[in-house]
Amino acid sequence: MASNIAERVQYPLDSSSYKIIDEIGAGNSAVVYKAICVPINSTPVAIKSIDFERSRPDLDDVRREAKTLSLLSHPNILKAHCSFTVDRRLWVVMPFMAGGSLQSIISHSFQNGLTEQSIAVILIDTLNALSYLHGQGHLHRDIKSGNILVDSNGLVKLADFGVSASIYESNNAVGACSSYSSSSSNSSSSLMFTDFAGTPYWMAPEVIHSHNGYSFKADIWSFGITALELAHGRPPLSHLPPSKSMMLNITKRFRFSDFDKYIYKGHSGGSNKFSKAFKDMVASCLNQDPTKRPSAEKLLKHSFFKNCKGPEFLVKNVLNGLPSVEKRYKEIKVTMGEDSKGNDDDDGDDEDSVVNVKQRRISGWNFNEDGLKLEPVFPKDQCREDHDVVKQVRFEEENEIQEEEDVASSGTVIETNLGASDVSGVVKNREATLATLSVLKGSLEQELGQVKFLMSLIGGNGEENHVAESEEISKLRMELETERKKNLQLELQLENIKLHLISSTLNTPTS
Amino acid sequence: MEMGLARASSSEVVVYSEPPPPTESKSLFKPKVRTPADIVRNTRDLLRILQNGSVNKRDNDKMIELFKNLREMKTILYGNSEAEPVPEACSQLTQEFFNENTFRLLVECLPKLNLEARKDATQVVANLQRQQVQSKLIASDYLEKNMDLMDILISSYENPEMALHYGAMLRECIRHQIVAKYVLESPHMKKFFNYIQIPNFDIAADAAATFKELMTRHKSTVAEFLSNNYQWFFEEYNSKLLESSNYITRRQAVKLLGDMLLDRSNAAVMARYVSSRENLRILMNLMRESSKSIQIEAFHVFKLFAANQKKPPDIIGILVTNRNKLLRLLGDLKIDKEDEQFEADKAQVMKEIAALEPRE
Repeated sequence: MASNIAERVQYPLDSSSYKIIDEIGAGNSAVVYKAICVPINSTPVAIKSIDFERSRPDLDDVRREAKTLSLLSHPNILKAHCSFTVDRRLWVVMPFMAGGSLQSIISHSFQNGLTEQSIAVILIDTLNALSYLHGQGHLHRDIKSGNILVDSNGLVKLADFGVSASIYESNNAVGACSSYSSSSSNSSSSLMFTDFAGTPYWMAPEVIHSHNGYSFKADIWSFGITALELAHGRPPLSHLPPSKSMMLNITKRFRFSDFDKYIYKGHSGGSNKFSKAFKDMVASCLNQDPTKRPSAEKLLKHSFFKNCKGPEFLVKNVLNGLPSVEKRYKEIKVTMGEDSKGNDDDDGDDEDSVVNVKQRRISGWNFNEDGLKLEPVFPKDQCREDHDVVKQVRFEEENEIQEEEDVASSGTVIETNLGASDVSGVVKNREATLATLSVLKGSLEQELGQVKFLMSLIGGNGEENHVAESEEISKLRMELETERKKNLQLELQLENIKLHLISSTLNTPTS
Repeated sequence: MEMGLARASSSEVVVYSEPPPPTESKSLFKPKVRTPADIVRNTRDLLRILQNGSVNKRDNDKMIELFKNLREMKTILYGNSEAEPVPEACSQLTQEFFNENTFRLLVECLPKLNLEARKDATQVVANLQRQQVQSKLIASDYLEKNMDLMDILISSYENPEMALHYGAMLRECIRHQIVAKYVLESPHMKKFFNYIQIPNFDIAADAAATFKELMTRHKSTVAEFLSNNYQWFFEEYNSKLLESSNYITRRQAVKLLGDMLLDRSNAAVMARYVSSRENLRILMNLMRESSKSIQIEAFHVFKLFAANQKKPPDIIGILVTNRNKLLRLLGDLKIDKEDEQFEADKAQVMKEIAALEPRE
């Protein structure tokens, strides 16, 4: 009975048993290498090397990830052979996935997206993994093509549990049925998380608004975005260059119709490009209401996955002729610099536009089922440009998604813009959180700026007024203080005089 | 609707529909439906079979049934995406589970289960530790009479295949003060200093988490343990953990040391610790490490030596001798993000050291 586990090969727990061949991925606090395990017939492995010194102070998350990886067992989930520390680093030894991540594959060879048949093969395996994970009480929390890997046989595996969470072991989740007293009051929260994890582009609305709590259905949203990513070659909105003018264009006068063209330049893909089944499947995942999204298990029965091909289909149609993971990673590393330059050039004419306006504001998502595109909903554009101040301060409370261009390029280095993610085994946990936080910070700063702007419009220069006012207040305070002191002195004097008076009246008769 | 349990027509699977209205709890279970207690009893029978003999192919069905039972118990205790757990059912399951020796059977048979069943069993055991029956934690009462089970759980850190399962169970069991006390006072305690440094990271990290829980959860129990076992405990702690060659061991150990010493309930232990020049030497070395994380954590312990108003002469001697170096080191020590408390502590420590006069 236990033999199925015992027959697992024990990988050596010392770094000297491994020979590093090449770097195949990198993030803020981790590097991924291709290596061979010398004592085990020089089997190729991927080693994710996590820098403890740069990962967050609390090591519990690293422990949880290692544990999750050790205890999951599913053909579509990339598990770790073993993990051990090497000085300040943790080495996680994993099977080497020769095809690399789908993100790397599409950015190299399928920039306009994969065929539906290929997508189905990839997604069904991803769903099998998700269904298993969810059944185990785990949330993946970072589903995207960069975390879906393919081996040389076309077998698809879901990877990177850096931000995954378990409903059975977490301080964030309220333990279900822990006692009588907790039976009903927290019924809706027992399977929920309220912390913040993932990569912005793929994040479900309720994750961004994480105070509401989110659950398995957040993974389904990300799954839907991943489907779009595979179909278009990139996730929605990812291709906007990080230029100020572009941001202004979007916040001020961009129309949805232009937007389509802009995002998917040279790939204006007519609405007939995708089958009804695919559109319907994606649409169901991208429902704003998490409860209306199907479960992974239910999605598996969707008609889109009927007559789904096997892994050999991927070998023939996707992997065939693809350069090696190492090669692709190097190419991307080389072109990285050029890319960012190219993006800067897009700046164009609006050179004088407001400095440091870094994010566009999106108040929600419209899922255009026909074009299979996710379109941002901006705060209602009722005003002309000459009135756009008023527009800028229109804050919509619900379903806001704010994204910052810089997030894509700096926060998650190996993500979309730079397209360098060959192996997704890289921890993006910290980066993702950081990115999200910087998005939030940016958004708050922008709102502050807008409020100030509006104030200045209404009351002259608000900033200066404010300063003047506070100066005035402190001046008045000081005056008040001196008045008080004077008052006190006067009162004392009065007392003195009174005493004097009494004593003199008392003294008068005798003198 | 009229009951909390509904039986799926063909299989044995019991599915929860809706929580029963509390008033109807007496008519909760119809005789033919498998109640939570039935599932526990059946599980116990199957575990006995498993324990007594080798399982051959003919018994495969029994194993499948056992696995299914464990899954069901988990669903009863945790609920699932469709339904919340029903307190009445949880209580019934808990009562039956501890009524007889199911816990022991499950622990002893765990290695014979497959991975999924092991995980289910671990989660069931974990949950049961928190279940109250008539506002009593009956798991605690059970464990009090079966402390030897802890020996099995702790020793499992030496068995890579079982360590994470037993380790998770162990951490839940030491939530009970009485169990934590037993483990603290057992000879096993010394083994943790080695378990924490097992090469297998996931196991070492699990052992470290358990160790931390033992040393921080039950305040007065820990304080008592530390004062009774001060000598050997800190000798081991210093030499095996704080002076370990393993970076992560040192980092975790110095952090935990700070947590322990700064806890109000350990004030006496703290006073003793910061009067030792050997301890000071170790902490000063940790502050010199190139790792920022270790430096910062070491500072949080070092500050206690400096803040001690009854510093023994030899401590003062060391601080005075190294005054310039210490002040320079502390001056350069910065946290990435702003931390007023840290800065205030640092300023205080520097002031303290600068003002020291060697005593005659």
